[in-house]
Amino acid sequence: MAPGDGRRSQLLRGVLDLCLLAVMEEGPAYGYEMTKRLRARGLSIVGEGSIYPLLGRLEREGLVETYRAASDGGPPRKYYRASADGRRALAAGVSEWRAARDALDAVLGGVKTEAAA
Amino acid sequence: MNSGFVEECRREWERLGVPSPVANEMAAEVAADLEEAAAEGATADEVLGSDASDPRSFAASWAAERGVGRRSTSSERVASRAFGLAAVLALSAIAVCGAVLIIVGSPSGSRPLVGPPPPLPHNAPGRVQGVWVTPIVQLVAGPKRDILAVDQREFLVVDKTDSGVHTRTVGLVLLIVGLAGIFLSTLFSLWVGPSRWSRGRPLIEDRPTGPTN
Repeated sequence: MAPGDGRRSQLLRGVLDLCLLAVMEEGPAYGYEMTKRLRARGLSIVGEGSIYPLLGRLEREGLVETYRAASDGGPPRKYYRASADGRRALAAGVSEWRAARDALDAVLGGVKTEAAA
Repeated sequence: MNSGFVEECRREWERLGVPSPVANEMAAEVAADLEEAAAEGATADEVLGSDASDPRSFAASWAAERGVGRRSTSSERVASRAFGLAAVLALSAIAVCGAVLIIVGSPSGSRPLVGPPPPLPHNAPGRVQGVWVTPIVQLVAGPKRDILAVDQREFLVVDKTDSGVHTRTVGLVLLIVGLAGIFLSTLFSLWVGPSRWSRGRPLIEDRPTGPTN
């Protein structure tokens, strides 16, 4: 694994729960559906761990609610949606993310990556 | 491939003691997602990421995050290893004690006293025509020693509280117990491996967290 891959994994690991809660804001979704929503935004989990353990943790912490419902022509699926606590956690997490991103941009934003490449 | 992956997950959940209804629910969830992905021409990697290549780790991680499996914490792993090390050290100490007792209790290291009788007063009772009478020698040797006559002029004094035969027997038992314990501990640690050796208790009980229909 290249050093950059490891850093990407660590960065993603820190915010993937927020990403899942964010895509649930579009509407309840089952696991693979959330993966597709992430991929549609350019965030592929290929090379990373799956989202199911993370969904399990969100469920255990009461940040998501689940229910089973029929999918389009397929077997009943387990749908996830953010709970009230989950939405509050998402709001707080996004605020933290933006603050961290701004601070990091202030440090790293001026680095010219083209010259090093 | 997908059914094999799910079956591997099921086996891991069963090993971890995940309740069947919960295991069935998780298996159905991932199976349905994998089927849908396959129907769309997507690979398992696109559903499971790097977990696609390690179903047991995936299953254990998922169960632990849901709070329905067993996953030991680092402190529990350290405690388990410390306990195992202490057990091996204790068994080694037992084996060493046994070996020492065998050496001490062996004929070359025994304490019997062989030789001429100790001097007694000429008019001491029990001395009859140069023949040592056992009761008298017993009196000299003390109540804690046995007198074994070799002939009329020699006798054997054996400390009843430290019999060589008894010492060797105890030593042998301790040595066998110690070595057998070390052997079985080693076999057990090799059999269970580091991950199973440190298997912990369930983190929390399973509980519903939402309106699962």
